[in-house]
Amino acid sequence: MSSLAVGKTATAAGSAPGTVQDRPPLRRRIAFVPTVTLLLGALYCLLPVAWVVIAATKSGSELFSTFTFLPGTGFADNVSELSAYRDGVYWQWMGNSALYAGLGALLSTCVSAVSGYALATYRFRGRETLFNVLLAGVLMPPIILAVPQYLLLANVGLTDSYLSVLLPQILSPYGVYLSRIYAAAAVPADVVEAGRMDGASEWRIFTRVALPMMVPGMVTVFLFQFVAVWNNFLLPYIMLSDDEKFPITLGLFTLLEQGANTPALYTLVITGAFLAVIPLVALFLVIQRFWSLDLLSGAVKS
Amino acid sequence: MPNTKRTRLVASTIAVALGATALAACGSSDSDSEAESGPVSLTYWTWTPGMDKVVDLWNKGPGKKDRITVTVKKQASGDTLVTKILTAHKAGQAPDLVQAEYQALPTLVSNDAVADIAGEVGDAKDKFADGVWQQTTLGTDAVYAVPQDIGPMMFYYREDLFKQYGLKVPATWEEFAETARALKKKAPDKDLTTFSANDSGLFAGLAQQAGAKWWTTSGEKWKVGIDDAASQKVAKFWGDLVKEGAVDNQPMYTPAWNKALNTGKQIAWVSAVWAPGTLTTAAPDTKGKWAMAPLPQWSDSANVTGSWGGSSTAVTTDSDHKAAAAKFAAWLNTDGDALNALAKESGIYPASTSAQLSGAFTTPPDYFSNQVDFYKTAAEIAETTAPSAWGPNVNVAYTTFKDAFGEAAKNKSDFAAALKTMQDDTVADLKKQGFEVSE
Amino acid sequence: MTSARRKPYGVKGAPYAFLIPATVLFLLFFALPIGYAIWLSFRKVKVSGLGLGSGARREVWAGLENYTAALTDSELVNGALRVLGYGCIVVPVMLGLALLFALMLDSDKVRFAPFTRLAIFLPYAIPGVVAALLWGFLYLPDVSPFYFVLDRLGLPQPDLLDGGPLYLALSNIAVWGGTGFNMIVIYTSLQAIPAEVHEAAKLDGATPLQIALKIKIPMVAPSLVLTFFFSIIATLQVFNEPTTLKPLTNSVSTTWSPLMKVYQDAFGKGDIYAAAAQATIIALATLLLSFGFLRAANRRQKQEAAR
Repeated sequence: MSSLAVGKTATAAGSAPGTVQDRPPLRRRIAFVPTVTLLLGALYCLLPVAWVVIAATKSGSELFSTFTFLPGTGFADNVSELSAYRDGVYWQWMGNSALYAGLGALLSTCVSAVSGYALATYRFRGRETLFNVLLAGVLMPPIILAVPQYLLLANVGLTDSYLSVLLPQILSPYGVYLSRIYAAAAVPADVVEAGRMDGASEWRIFTRVALPMMVPGMVTVFLFQFVAVWNNFLLPYIMLSDDEKFPITLGLFTLLEQGANTPALYTLVITGAFLAVIPLVALFLVIQRFWSLDLLSGAVKS
Repeated sequence: MPNTKRTRLVASTIAVALGATALAACGSSDSDSEAESGPVSLTYWTWTPGMDKVVDLWNKGPGKKDRITVTVKKQASGDTLVTKILTAHKAGQAPDLVQAEYQALPTLVSNDAVADIAGEVGDAKDKFADGVWQQTTLGTDAVYAVPQDIGPMMFYYREDLFKQYGLKVPATWEEFAETARALKKKAPDKDLTTFSANDSGLFAGLAQQAGAKWWTTSGEKWKVGIDDAASQKVAKFWGDLVKEGAVDNQPMYTPAWNKALNTGKQIAWVSAVWAPGTLTTAAPDTKGKWAMAPLPQWSDSANVTGSWGGSSTAVTTDSDHKAAAAKFAAWLNTDGDALNALAKESGIYPASTSAQLSGAFTTPPDYFSNQVDFYKTAAEIAETTAPSAWGPNVNVAYTTFKDAFGEAAKNKSDFAAALKTMQDDTVADLKKQGFEVSE
Repeated sequence: MTSARRKPYGVKGAPYAFLIPATVLFLLFFALPIGYAIWLSFRKVKVSGLGLGSGARREVWAGLENYTAALTDSELVNGALRVLGYGCIVVPVMLGLALLFALMLDSDKVRFAPFTRLAIFLPYAIPGVVAALLWGFLYLPDVSPFYFVLDRLGLPQPDLLDGGPLYLALSNIAVWGGTGFNMIVIYTSLQAIPAEVHEAAKLDGATPLQIALKIKIPMVAPSLVLTFFFSIIATLQVFNEPTTLKPLTNSVSTTWSPLMKVYQDAFGKGDIYAAAAQATIIALATLLLSFGFLRAANRRQKQEAAR
């Protein structure tokens, strides 16, 4: 796999010198090949997303009749119609999704951070076994787990509640794995040792010394878990019956599947999906500020 | 405040652990409370849009008097809802009332998820056509639901384009095939319609029109007739049309299908009474250019149609207030005000015969404003609906249909073989579950 | 985890204390449901008579019946083969692109990095409910702008939704949706490499390519192993991509991939027992493949560390 990537890198780099010799000042200001490669990648990824944006501007009659990438005229109408649907339940869904994803991802990140740190920093009996067992949690397809999870929560009367969607999604084997790798790379053993020499408790070392170093990794875990919960469909589908508790994915699904008599509300669904992407973009923009280590090294020192 | 929340969270986490041990023991708690006193509150799973407004009428009117309050919990329709109901039932937590498509009723009944409400709603029988009512009794003395809406099948076509190409509205399936061929000759890039393998209900309805009875019982045994002569006739008919290229073979409900209807690439659609709603979104530019006619017949003298879609209101066995729930179900689907509201708010075509020509149905749907007698014709067609025969594993037959006929439509191969696959899979599944099956 | 009073716990107890939340959550929401699913896989429903009325349906012990049925079901095997072919395209292309983009993002003086990073990640945020509509509009010849262009240019218009191209169409959805995710994983690890390491190499006169190959890639190897590990699992559990395309074409059956068959059996046919057995088999196959890979990767790392 890496050979393929390397091959690409090599050819890309190979064409670079020409550019360099022709225009030396440009070389100094921007790296041409990486920039172009990334822009091409962005174009590839954005094209289908652009469809969602453009389709959200189309009215019901324009959606199937005008050229796919031609903007329509109905965006404002779509938004107001969406807001009017069932007395604005759409915004309730948005709020629910924010709650499920925000709180769920926060808890998940905390659990992942502390577990990943423990697995990376300490050598203890049963470490690999425990790690592998936690990882094995991803092996059973979530599809088959939703029904047993429902039956379990039904036993304690928790179905159709916010908790029923939150609780099962707190532990993320992926997050634990990522945290372990990240903690191993970002937290040097001598820093931990120095903390011990100073007489700090293990918990204090973790929260005050290690955690700040792990922030870029943890925001990544947060981001992934946020999006995963935001887009999760099957678990809330099984757990919830009250549409005021639905997250956005499930809500949009009910708009699409209204039974045979009623046509699917395509324009509302597309507009709803488009609006639902905006908070994710905002989150991403906030989070990517934390990926820069320069910003953090200052934080660690102070 | 945060403290109490956390305590509760911890408490419930422990409770989950404890509860899990009792998992196997969970079952439904049956408690028939015949003599209701005091206020009753019911929950209702439905996918019908606007149902909350209809239910408001009940809560403010008859429900207030009887102190029965109904809360709508809006769901998504589709096959997965049955699984959701069954899962909830397994935990003893199904809602009091559920909306169920007719073909799903036997599955729900055989899982003991819906209750027999013959005692409460039996009187409503004469408000419905026999063929419709029989779908909620499954041919027994019990009544498992009250019919809500029906989907008698009809033929929709582009009036203007039929005129332009000199085509006649087909009265028989033979004429239908001729029409398809004639169109191909005159406009090779157009299709009369498509044979779509992604909605099993369409084929089931067509087979039903031809006289097929897919599930029947004799004594304590089920008999599966998916591969019967009538169904074979229908399968061969469409298989031949697809094979010679007289009709398209691509699925319905795709963006391409919408466009084909909207631009007149496909000029007819075999559908049901709810088609105006679908056409409104799928082909908005051709509003007023369509017309509706009875489904083509298999012989000149025949006058029957099949049904595609339609649903009922059922009371679950998990409900603690079955009598109250049944009372609401009967009101919802037989009361004049309720039916009017259903038509207005939800756009459904009522199963109740008296409602089919009153209120909202005195004027044609907006999309068909050119056809003034739309609902009069529809009511006449609805009367000719052939009885349907559903069994406890319709879902299996439907799934197999999608795969087997999808494959056959793609390869333009033998539809009869696909039908045989459907029959075999359905029988095998029944046997696997332990049903007695007569060959 | 508030530990004010437990201050004196030693280095020995700490990791166990730290791992309590994860362990408890795992037991409750993974181990128990998995155990229940496995238990279900040995059960089946037994109907008596017509199966109507209460008490006609009982759950009984099935032994290995569900397993033998699953293993002799040719559809499951065919599904596995289809998924194998699909995985051979998706995994290398997706991870290759992810690594390439991550390295590019990490290189010096790259322009528009925040924008492109967001753009490449964005597809991951599009909910599956909309994806089917989206790809319908881009793949179906009658509405696709690409076919429109091909048509205008007089070029041949391949059927993307059948035969070999179908695999490409499916892979494209997966690559489009997953590259950004993996790119971020690798990019985050690249960010963890101390800047001094690059600087030292640069002072030694190493080219950016050499730095990437000799320093960066080996240093992010654990992340590459991670992305590979999870990509294998995701491939074996592929569900979303074919489900997205299913309504658009007759070529994708409801049992196209093994997990689709599981879903179909559980939610379409209502046979959770057979579905649980199939899911267990898929989980075991995934276990063998992914942990086998993990073990091999670890061994190699240890060998390299020893050298």
